[in-house]
Amino acid sequence: MKRPPMLMHVKIRGERRGFGLWLPIFLLLPLALAVFIIVSPLILIAILVFWPRGWRKRALHVFGAVFEGLCSMRGLKVDIQGDHHCIYISAV
Amino acid sequence: MDENKKRVLEMLAQNKISADEAYRLLSALESEVGATEGTPKAGTGEKMKSKYLRVCIVPGSEHEHGGKGDRVNVRVPMALIRSGMKFTSLLPPEARDKVVGALREKGIDFDMRNLKPEDMDELLEALSELEVDVAGSDGETVKVFVE
Repeated sequence: MKRPPMLMHVKIRGERRGFGLWLPIFLLLPLALAVFIIVSPLILIAILVFWPRGWRKRALHVFGAVFEGLCSMRGLKVDIQGDHHCIYISAV
Repeated sequence: MDENKKRVLEMLAQNKISADEAYRLLSALESEVGATEGTPKAGTGEKMKSKYLRVCIVPGSEHEHGGKGDRVNVRVPMALIRSGMKFTSLLPPEARDKVVGALREKGIDFDMRNLKPEDMDELLEALSELEVDVAGSDGETVKVFVE
């Protein structure tokens, strides 16, 4: 089963200053779930509103695709090293 | 084979090759071992499943070409490309028509409405044999490959 990345490492360094960040996504997921539960009545209303227009199926697919996209991010690495700047993003 | 692996690691330790090159050499050696042991390998029956699309850009060396440019190393999971392609099917028909029209204006006759999931799988499978290796006049090298 696919699971979302556990950690995301973001490191950005400019000419003068920079920062590095380890984002514990596994801690943010329960928070996102809580937000989703809170917002779910609004989502339900939106689905009901768009039902006659045939958007219901598409809206449900969007949730699935977003979650799948998040899960697929495991192993993503972007590393750009310049003379005076550096951008590093990695999903573990 | 162990002797070859040791030689690759020695070359890495002596900075004769980069970590990426060492990884590729070791992977190639491992697939060679798999072939001799009768395990399936690329091009013979069952294909090895590629996991990542890699894009590496290395600027020219500083003393020869000034060393201008950024060093780029991007690794994109194939699953992310696959799920990104699935997003095209979620585009509303009106938006899809606009995209197709804009592409046609640019001279690209590509209709994404005809893109089916089985076509995507075929496309991604074909990507596993992709290898682009460009050496620029300023000494920079661009490599795109799947591993």
